[in-house]
Amino acid sequence: MTTVGEIHAVNPRMTCRRVNVYYGDKHAIKNVSIDIGRNEVLAMIGPSGCGKSTFLRCLNRMNDTIEGCRVTGTITLDGQDIYDPDLDVVLLRAQVGMVFQKPNPFPKSIYDNIAYGPKIHGLAQTRAELDEIVETSLRKAGLWDEVKDRLDHPGTGLSGGQQQRLCIARAIAVSPEVILMDEPCSALDPIATARIEELIHELREQYTIVIVTHSMQQAARVSQRTAFFHLGDLIEVGPTDRIFTRPRHPLTEDYITGRFG
Amino acid sequence: MKRGCWERAVRCGCYAAGFWVVSGAVAVVGFAVRQGAPHVTPKLLFGGVSAREALFGGAPVFDGLWPAVVGTFYLVAGAVALAAPLGLATGIYLAEFSRGRLKEVLTVFFDVLAGVPSVVVGLFGFSVSLLLHKMVSPRLGPCLLVAAFSLMILVLPYVIRATQSALEGVPQEVRITALSLGADPVQNLAWVLIPHSFRGIASGLLLAVGRCAEDTAVILLTGVVVTAGVPRSLLDPFEALPFYIYYVSTQYASPEELERGFGAALILLGVSVSLFAVAYAVRRAVGHWALYRA
Ligand SMILES: Nc1ncnc2c1ncn2[C@@H]1O[C@H](COP(=O)(O)OP(=O)(O)O)[C@@H](O)[C@H]1O
Ligand SMILES: [Mg+2]
Repeated sequence: MTTVGEIHAVNPRMTCRRVNVYYGDKHAIKNVSIDIGRNEVLAMIGPSGCGKSTFLRCLNRMNDTIEGCRVTGTITLDGQDIYDPDLDVVLLRAQVGMVFQKPNPFPKSIYDNIAYGPKIHGLAQTRAELDEIVETSLRKAGLWDEVKDRLDHPGTGLSGGQQQRLCIARAIAVSPEVILMDEPCSALDPIATARIEELIHELREQYTIVIVTHSMQQAARVSQRTAFFHLGDLIEVGPTDRIFTRPRHPLTEDYITGRFG
Repeated sequence: MKRGCWERAVRCGCYAAGFWVVSGAVAVVGFAVRQGAPHVTPKLLFGGVSAREALFGGAPVFDGLWPAVVGTFYLVAGAVALAAPLGLATGIYLAEFSRGRLKEVLTVFFDVLAGVPSVVVGLFGFSVSLLLHKMVSPRLGPCLLVAAFSLMILVLPYVIRATQSALEGVPQEVRITALSLGADPVQNLAWVLIPHSFRGIASGLLLAVGRCAEDTAVILLTGVVVTAGVPRSLLDPFEALPFYIYYVSTQYASPEELERGFGAALILLGVSVSLFAVAYAVRRAVGHWALYRA
């Protein structure tokens, strides 16, 4: 099945070519090719079970952690094949950070949540440097003012929206180039959601963001490009405003007009 | 209407079963307290020697239970110290690193091992001590070390399976958090998986403590004796409370001796409770530390 729309991006951050994913015998992603541009927010939409999360996990090799999951095809980050056997996945995951659907801070202090990544990657030589990374990351995630007086409190004691921003700060702390977000707002109330969407706008200046969302309004608000998946196929991809106003594929049209999903 | 009836019947049944179990336990403990309490005196513990002399002066106690109390503590500490590292490591291996057929086989194997009667484990320990006697040194025989080793075999499956199932119970989203930040499997274990499953792992160890404190069949064959005094080395025979109770209640020559048996039972209960209390305190402290250390 060929994808409708422009899969290429000028000077892409990541490229995916003929990517297939299998869970045992199940063919979950079928021959998907797409570029991810620099400093763009790419939204992935589609009915549930169409493979959005699966595809997202290919981008930082989190599928490696799933038993029976097999990925074929080529995915590059800045021209480097990320499935190259010589590649260090530890470094890859520092470059491609991930934020999950349910906020999942470690049951440790706010400080430790942020400091963990920099520690394992050896990003700070001194305590002062680590303090600075923690502060910058929390500031970028728009959480610093709310938590600066209680960095030693457990991260799990924060509100849901704050926890999710903490998780974003945790991902930022290892200075990634790409941040993957898998329905980051689906467990949050509208106000917390708006706060995260604002944050995504700000982060776009420095990071490439791929966000899975089940909300078309959200995709329209935060992204510049949208990819529509259906049953493991990448049906259509294009500029977000065009996809939502003039979809070219009938399945895309059915989906965005709410005929299924 | 009919459903309401059913629900009530099931509820009553469950309550009744729970009540029955609790009242059974209360009755047993109450009986031990009633029979034993009047006889738990310094004299029962230390015989003719004064408590101060026995505890701090190193005076040997010949006709008291003190050596048995100490022996039981040593035994439990020794067995758990042996079982914990081995059991944790094996549990971690089973949960995190072994896959497929081998994992299934090993899991079943440890379940079977958990079901081996303790007297069989005791016989095994006894054979080990005979072997040591013949092959290593004729001075070696049944002793504290062999008994602790045999008890380790007895409790190892609990520790292993508790560790395994606690680790396997860590939810997927927690499991992948540190990995997504670039942690390797070992870092993930140390930072996330073990702290998260600490309670379950500690429960396995608690179970092991209880089992070691009460088991008689194993030590019977591996080094417990009626009088040994406080053991001076791991290679000495030793006294232990459960064996004393067994011995007194089967061989008593006078009602007074049987009363001492009840006193010993109460002391064993006390020892078990304090071991549990220590283990709980450790579990709380370490659990908190593991989760919130700065
Ligand atoms: N760990 C897994 N093992 C087996 N099948 C899976 C696994 N994860 C997802 N799948 C299957 O792959 C398909 C895509 O799932 P997913 O990527 O989670 O979809 P989405 O995120 O779009 O809802 C679904 O049919 C799902 O059942
Ligand atoms: Mg999903």
